[in-house]
Amino acid sequence: MSYRICSLLLLLLATPLGLVAAEAPADPLNSVMWHEMHQRLLDGAPVVFDERVQVSAPAVAEDSLNLPLWIDATALGEVERLLVFAELNPIPKVLDMQPLKAAPRIGLRIKVQQATPVRAAALTPDGVWHLGGVLVDAAGGGCTAPSIGSGSSDWADRLGEVTARLWSREHHSRLRASIVHPMDTGLVAGIPAFYLEQLEIRESGGDLISRLSLFEPIAENPVLTLDLPKLKQLTMDGRDNNGNPVAAQISLESQTGGGGQ
Amino acid sequence: MNFPLKSKALSTAMASAVLTAGLSLTSLAQAGVTQADIDNDASTTGDVVSWGMGQQGQRYSPLKKINKGNVKKLVPAWSFSFGGEKQRGQEAQPVVHNGRIFVTGSYSRLYAVDAKTGEELWQYDHRLPDGILPCCDVINRGAALHGDLVIFGTLDARLVALDQATGKVKWRSKIDDYKAGYSFTAAPLIVKDMVITGVSGGEFGVIGRVEARDAQTGKLRWIRPSVEGHMGYIWKDGEKMENGITGKTNATWPGDLWKTGGAATWQGGTYDHETDLIFYGTGNPAPWNAHMRPGDNLYSTSTLAIDPDTGKISWHYQYTPNDGWDYDGVNELVSYNSGGKKLAGHADRNGFFYVLDRTNGKVENAFPFVTRVDFAKGIDKKTGRPIETGLRPGDPTKSADGKKGETIFIAPSFLGAKNWMPMAYSPDTELFYVPANEWGMDLWNEPVTYKKGAAYLGAGFTIKPLYDDYIGALRAIDPKTGDIKWEYKNNAPLWGGVMTTGGGLVFTGTPEGYLKAFDADNGKELWKFQTGSGVVGCPITWEQDGEQFIAVPSGWGGAVPLWGGDVASKVKYLNQGGSLWVFKLTDA
Repeated sequence: MSYRICSLLLLLLATPLGLVAAEAPADPLNSVMWHEMHQRLLDGAPVVFDERVQVSAPAVAEDSLNLPLWIDATALGEVERLLVFAELNPIPKVLDMQPLKAAPRIGLRIKVQQATPVRAAALTPDGVWHLGGVLVDAAGGGCTAPSIGSGSSDWADRLGEVTARLWSREHHSRLRASIVHPMDTGLVAGIPAFYLEQLEIRESGGDLISRLSLFEPIAENPVLTLDLPKLKQLTMDGRDNNGNPVAAQISLESQTGGGGQ
Repeated sequence: MNFPLKSKALSTAMASAVLTAGLSLTSLAQAGVTQADIDNDASTTGDVVSWGMGQQGQRYSPLKKINKGNVKKLVPAWSFSFGGEKQRGQEAQPVVHNGRIFVTGSYSRLYAVDAKTGEELWQYDHRLPDGILPCCDVINRGAALHGDLVIFGTLDARLVALDQATGKVKWRSKIDDYKAGYSFTAAPLIVKDMVITGVSGGEFGVIGRVEARDAQTGKLRWIRPSVEGHMGYIWKDGEKMENGITGKTNATWPGDLWKTGGAATWQGGTYDHETDLIFYGTGNPAPWNAHMRPGDNLYSTSTLAIDPDTGKISWHYQYTPNDGWDYDGVNELVSYNSGGKKLAGHADRNGFFYVLDRTNGKVENAFPFVTRVDFAKGIDKKTGRPIETGLRPGDPTKSADGKKGETIFIAPSFLGAKNWMPMAYSPDTELFYVPANEWGMDLWNEPVTYKKGAAYLGAGFTIKPLYDDYIGALRAIDPKTGDIKWEYKNNAPLWGGVMTTGGGLVFTGTPEGYLKAFDADNGKELWKFQTGSGVVGCPITWEQDGEQFIAVPSGWGGAVPLWGGDVASKVKYLNQGGSLWVFKLTDA
């Protein structure tokens, strides 16, 4: 039996929903990793390539350690999850966001190991993933170079420090927060994986606004931009994979910070 | 149907678990480690869920499938590498539960390994800052289990609790500032659903203390400092409250020196359920130069008996008042019963073996367990104090230039007649099996002032072997008479833990790389295996699917190669490593 028939049979067996799920539409970016990513990150769930999911990035990553991304899936309406991945990275998964009360829209910076498709997948309540993406060219090496912070002896002093600003826009409040963290991928010899893995944004009253799972490829000292419902004050709490906490209180129009440790 | 009381408690617990979340349900199904499991560890042979193979620290297993008759047929089942380039001293005692072995490695690493196959389940590499200040190698002595958590301390003075199944961090608690010299490398102790820990860093003038945290959340319950004058704290309904000063300020310390008084609690404690007391040892007073701090310097070089409910000291026993030789009193206090008495044994760095009444800390018996003890002629059983010979290094302020006092030669050396490596007690033979070392030191004092994060010694030293043919000596000691029933001499210093079994065997490792088995009655060497690097870890044994297994970490390191002085020639060609070896009887 040829490999192809074999894998087709496996797919049929593995997906009782049938061909809709198994046969993903043709990838507009024509990536060799797409089918693998579809299975691994999206469990082979139904997908559509959808221009309403916007991924903005420079065509060439000038700095492989800091590729700026702007992801916007607000045109879809309600989004339950927003997943960001860089397919040809040794660790593809970048971010898994539950927007909840926040807009399904985020700005961040990531590390890229080589030229790669960068995609965002937005899950709508009907169980369909909507995909957008771009190809980014890169000189590479971003995931296997030591972070700048880990090269200095005092990275632990400011670990988890937050610098943030919240300001009011026409329909929402915009939050931009920078968190001190080396975000080590674990792919550099002698430096274990060490990265922020969870952030929760809450109204000061305690109601959850948005929840983010972060992964190794997010650039050192993550800078995140989020659009939240109109509010005057919020808290941002989280932790890294070693259990080191992040805790910050952020108020409208004032630049504030919070400590880690 | 009539439920007995116990089931009622269980059903309440289950009801609350249902309320909390689905996660708790799966954990119930996996049967986490209960406090009862830990309390009964010494008699249950299917697992090892505490440091000391039982809270009393006897390191005795009733298992006898492997015994004097068949130990020759012991062969490796598998070996597991700790990997990486970080091969330093591997001093851990593994723990085993539910078919998983949890073992810590150098540089604050923790591994979960399938007990049957040796396949790694997960690995946690703690991210260490560059500025950590471990005095005596980057070791770790083991993890504790509670519920679904595996908990261990790190070189940057954190406690980390991880999910036993996944290795995900569940909570993390900061013990103290690593830049001031704090770290924590001992295995935590679990008592009454609390995790009990101390601090390392006595060479940097830190303040020793014993802390209790809620094992499931890491929230502090009480803190008991080990130096007089410092305030203890207890948390009631989440509120931090003063819980009385330790001792009486300036009673046994002059001036301000108690503020940087050391007495680090760097070794793990033991717990005796019969007296409901935690026994935690304390290190040397800081600095080493004793001329600067006349007085007993309580509660340095002592065993503290702490009430786990109140965090207060019930009794203490000080082994070396006004220590001037770095004779830490941290070594384990092992509870045992004999002649209807509740006793406890302790082999001190200073060369004396102590038998204490563990209900009150009074000395029952005390005798040397090495060939030379120069600082004292004996222990006065009435006062409990050493009868000092007066052999102390000279006061530098009285020297001609005021920079260096008179040098003395004294045995044991500061690395101790016995160091951290835990001994074993067999209720079958009623003997203690003590890993001892025969060495002395040149020692002199210098002036010193405290500076945060800098070594705070005020002393210089070189270590010298006492004999050409051996330093290490595994000794079988009768606590009633002080007789040494047998001894095994080893060329290099012994630095690994000891275990004894119902099969009439005593196991320990050597820096030369062997794990060895001896006849518990006469010390005859019955078996050895070369593990490829020095063995300074602690062996354990358990039973799984009808077979008895023995495990020991291998990997040369610890304080000897760092501080070794003239001893270095004996250990020069011992190479580093990092692996876990598991043995069983051959099927053939």
